[in-house]
Amino acid sequence: MKRLALYLLPAIFVGILAASWVTHGTGVIKNDVARNIFIPETLTTQLQVKAAYNGRDIFFRYRWPTSRPGIYHDMLRFEGGKWVRYGGSVAGPQPQGIYEDRVTMMVDDGSVPEFGRYGGYITVGDRMRFFTNQATAKEVAAHPYLGLKKKQVEVQKYLPATRRDVNDWASVVTEEELGRLRAAGYFIDLWHWRAHRSNPIDMSDDQFIAEHRYGDAGKAVFFTNWDPEKKQPRLMFDPQKAGRTALAWDDLANRRLGFGDLYYLREDQAMPFNPEHAWKEGDTIPRRVLRPGDGSRADISVVGKAEWRNGFWDVTLRRAMNTGQPLDDKAFLDKGFYSTAFAVHRGAFGSRWHYVSLPVSLGLERDAQLKAVRFTGDLPHWEQPWTDVTLFYPGQISWGSLVAPRHAGARYIAQGIPVRFRHSERQLAQYGVQAEFANEIKRQWLLTLYAGLLLIAAFGVGLNLILVRERA
Amino acid sequence: MTYELFIRLIAPYHAVLVHFPVAIWTTVSLIVIYRALFDNALSRAGDRILVPLLALSIVAGIAAYTAGFIIFPVDATTASPLIRNHLLAASWSLAYWTVFLITRWLNGESVWVGAKRWIMLGLALLGTLLITVTGTVGGHIAGNPSTVSVLLQWAGWDVYDTFYVPDVVLWAIAAGVVLLPLLGWWGSRQRTA
Repeated sequence: MKRLALYLLPAIFVGILAASWVTHGTGVIKNDVARNIFIPETLTTQLQVKAAYNGRDIFFRYRWPTSRPGIYHDMLRFEGGKWVRYGGSVAGPQPQGIYEDRVTMMVDDGSVPEFGRYGGYITVGDRMRFFTNQATAKEVAAHPYLGLKKKQVEVQKYLPATRRDVNDWASVVTEEELGRLRAAGYFIDLWHWRAHRSNPIDMSDDQFIAEHRYGDAGKAVFFTNWDPEKKQPRLMFDPQKAGRTALAWDDLANRRLGFGDLYYLREDQAMPFNPEHAWKEGDTIPRRVLRPGDGSRADISVVGKAEWRNGFWDVTLRRAMNTGQPLDDKAFLDKGFYSTAFAVHRGAFGSRWHYVSLPVSLGLERDAQLKAVRFTGDLPHWEQPWTDVTLFYPGQISWGSLVAPRHAGARYIAQGIPVRFRHSERQLAQYGVQAEFANEIKRQWLLTLYAGLLLIAAFGVGLNLILVRERA
Repeated sequence: MTYELFIRLIAPYHAVLVHFPVAIWTTVSLIVIYRALFDNALSRAGDRILVPLLALSIVAGIAAYTAGFIIFPVDATTASPLIRNHLLAASWSLAYWTVFLITRWLNGESVWVGAKRWIMLGLALLGTLLITVTGTVGGHIAGNPSTVSVLLQWAGWDVYDTFYVPDVVLWAIAAGVVLLPLLGWWGSRQRTA
């Protein structure tokens, strides 16, 4: 029996250790949309990019995988006598799958020095939209500058120097200082292609990030089709031009509408909404209306047709190298060197549920991670190889948390050491997920640490009780 | 600034100090393997230095542990998955080898009699695994990752994921904490077959 106890003791000890090994990392990470937490099944993906320029225009071609294209977005469905919205931004995937795919590109010319080292992380501020601790619409609306003056109701991307305290979204510096920063080029140019809100008219949105994410000056390529007072759309399809008054919800739900079909509302195919029309259950009108746009906001267009084929989106965008809008756009110069960062939305995920890249250097006929090739003529031949970029789910990691003492790497950031030197995309994705459960994981880790110590001590006591007695 | 200076002075010494316990525990493991497999003058000579070696390793381990603990602010130490894992593995390693020292110290050469030698061999191999994990994670923190982490990933654990167990396993460990001493007490009262 003594021998049995002697064998049983290490067997139990090792058995518990084995159970710990097999089950580790489970039991804590759970989706909780009430806290704006939803972890994508896939944490990394790939994007391929090419760039070319002809001295007048610059072209970027993007290719990325997704199992099916998301081309529907933000719809108003007639049900029970009311117009009900489907396809707005929600935590996690849009339940009906009605959310557009997107590709975005941030560009800087060196005026935002941290961007080339840390990419989009520097734009992730305190209590941002869809963070677990996001600032409420009421808080933002009451802010003297962002709310009362700029009419914003949520905290979006912003750059560190636009705040007195990077860990306080509300601590915006004076308007005078914001103006000086912007004039000095302290903003990130943001190319923003959307599969529903810009692509059907072969356009891309053109934005920038400074103290907030704004659209460039001019008219956007889409506007909202909703009359909040009458609680109905402002516009409907003109049957003379579109051959119908509305889309059928079933066609959207069953994804019957493809690139050759009408799944969007163009301003020139629309007419004022007629509430007297015999609307029937399931009639659906897009909540966004597409239009050509103008000014700096409409600088970026799609080359050819941006479509999804064989599991991949293939999108080419074109813009003047110098738009003449130095407060909105970064100008590209022959032999220039820039920093970029990319992101894609797919799988009916919106807002912060995107896959992002680390900064990628861009050289116009200069050595860089992404080399833009000079060509003659109107359109590039795209003979150069793709530049592969790994994208990752970033989780909820703000710039303020990265430069705070609780980040072990804060001292390296202070020294200007680039993120890529210490972190891979896979690692950052895992850290991003763990940051969303920071308190829960820390508690469970501490309990595991202490429990393990007690187990080792208990094993030692048990083993020596047998051995010492046997020796005696 | 003073804290920063202190850290700058201490941090390099963690990297220096960890060599001592790691080297000693590795040496101890080799001695244990040899002693478990062979009963000759050399293996017995090796066994005789186990207790002083292990005692030295615990002192060196405590020194390295202390120096490592203060490299980063406590908030950062407990917020970083890599540092958490390093701390957990280092704590377990230190405790584990302390138990090993006590076992050999209390029981003398009798631990090599019969089947007990295989238990000692198993314990040494498990201890080696623990210090391998500790060192692997430490390498990542220092910016010198090794391919051992790839092996660990194949075995089911990514060093970038904080190591923790679910509540049900915590309860199993709690049961083990109660059961193992009881089993030892019960076993100690049985006659050897």
